[in-house]
Amino acid sequence: MDDQAPLTIAGIRAGYRKVTVVEDFTLAPIAPGEVVSLLGPNAAGKTTILRSLAGLHKASGSVQLGTRELMGMPLAEHARYVTYMPQTLPDRVGLTVTEAVMSALRAGPADDSAANTRHLLDTAMEVIEQVGITHLASRELGQLSGGQRQLASLAQALVRQPRVLLLDEPISALDLHYQLKVMKLIRQIASHDAMTVIMVLHDLSMAARWSDRVVLLADGRVEVEGTPEEALTAQRLAKVYQVSAAVTRGEHGLSIAIHDTI
Amino acid sequence: MRAEAIDSYLRTARRRAIILVVLLLACCIGLALDISTGPSFLPLDQVWDGLFRPEQLDIPAQVIIRDVRLPIALMALLVGAALSLAGAEMQTILDNPLASPFTLGVSSAASFGAALGIVLGIGIPGLSPDWIVPVNAFLCAFGSVVLLEALARSRAAGTQGIVLFGIALVFTFNALVALIQFVASQEALSQLVFWTMGSLSRATWSNVAILAVIVAAVIPFSMRAANAMTAMRLGEDRARTFGFDVRRLRMFSLLRISALAGTSVAFVGTIGFVGLVGPHIARLMLGEDHRFLLPASLLCGALLMSLASVASKLIVPGVLLPAGIVTAMIGVPVFLILILRRPDRV
Repeated sequence: MDDQAPLTIAGIRAGYRKVTVVEDFTLAPIAPGEVVSLLGPNAAGKTTILRSLAGLHKASGSVQLGTRELMGMPLAEHARYVTYMPQTLPDRVGLTVTEAVMSALRAGPADDSAANTRHLLDTAMEVIEQVGITHLASRELGQLSGGQRQLASLAQALVRQPRVLLLDEPISALDLHYQLKVMKLIRQIASHDAMTVIMVLHDLSMAARWSDRVVLLADGRVEVEGTPEEALTAQRLAKVYQVSAAVTRGEHGLSIAIHDTI
Repeated sequence: MRAEAIDSYLRTARRRAIILVVLLLACCIGLALDISTGPSFLPLDQVWDGLFRPEQLDIPAQVIIRDVRLPIALMALLVGAALSLAGAEMQTILDNPLASPFTLGVSSAASFGAALGIVLGIGIPGLSPDWIVPVNAFLCAFGSVVLLEALARSRAAGTQGIVLFGIALVFTFNALVALIQFVASQEALSQLVFWTMGSLSRATWSNVAILAVIVAAVIPFSMRAANAMTAMRLGEDRARTFGFDVRRLRMFSLLRISALAGTSVAFVGTIGFVGLVGPHIARLMLGEDHRFLLPASLLCGALLMSLASVASKLIVPGVLLPAGIVTAMIGVPVFLILILRRPDRV
């Protein structure tokens, strides 16, 4: 497929039972390598949108990669283009980090030959190294901290080398060092591999610094979409989050200071 | 550091393969011990001759081995393997460490099906009498498993809800079996009691053959689903985003569980514990890569059941205790030791 095919999302509508959570979610076409952050208060529909794009939540509308319609595509085929990383990786599981990452590679017709295992193992190790958790590779998930599990989870998502990567709060459990490290890595892989990244973030400053585009959501609708400078203004934050904030342009992009609730 | 990690992964894989071989050998030893023990003790060299050079033995020894002890010993291995494999699959697809054919009512449902066949003669018309009881047991087991799965999928009930529902199934089917016992003739009643006890003593060559065919037929399908099940342990969303068809996986796994548990119960009655503990022992030893966990569960179950069969003959000399009682007596201490050693894996 054409590596330069943009991702076009139009008219996504999704909900639970009779309650509509997301209404007419439409974005301007997203270029390969672009990093988009979904922002918004609790219950704005961020995770529902990600799961709908991942084919995990029933939704109507259209998600096209180039001319290929992803909505309604069988999961096995869908999985070749899109990978979704949920917020948490379960802890009481008797798998090592390496095994967990390998499990993401063993989908499809299983080939457990020694040569193939060795190849998969090399691929898995490369990503584990990129994420910076080689020292944890042989540890079981149950023996890791929440942040370490989140890194293992990221490695598991990256190893599939998808065209579209959907990340649900990828840095929520990480310390400052790893937050920056992960965001840098995501940016680097996105541009190097022409991978489209859509992620849900809570930290506005992080989103402003590391995203090409932010989408501010409120009540399941797009409030505004654009570059961080365009979209994240004090007035909009006041409207969407009910907070008073000061937004200033600094050396590392926008600096957002939240003062108080309104 | 990377080379170390790769080395460690490959070393672990080798160690697991060795554990599987050791378990397999232990099952063979269990089989030999099971054949040698009984009212008349047969030395192991006679057991060997009986299996591979029967003409070397006198006629009574030949008969004891071929017609009495070998079917029981094989049945012990097969039932243990079947229930434990069913338990392992069930724990994964229902995402519940307490799941097993016994604890969630699948065995009780199968007993009910068997009771319908034995006492009331109810079964699918046209089936040969040999097959009515196993088919009934399978159908009822499958029905109960479908109910459990529907509940697990609806997300209305969490882990505890599923266990509670399973316990409700146990009580319901036990009550229905009791009701059938109430109206049963004296002869049918004695047959039924054997189900509720769980005993290997009625193993026949034809039953052994049927169960062997079912276990042998299920194993390749289970192994093909192993990678999907490993992914399932990391969450359903994750398994699906890797491209595994979770609904299909569940459906076929349930079919396998019903066939394994239903047939086992039809032949030897409700034997608890092994389906719950076998997979846990395997998990404690080998982790949760299902390419190793599934065969290890199967072998652990077979070994446990075989040892239980030996013990059932030795605990009270001259009396054959129901194996269902003994599995619990052997399984609990083994389980306890393992839990205390690796609490993080339970």
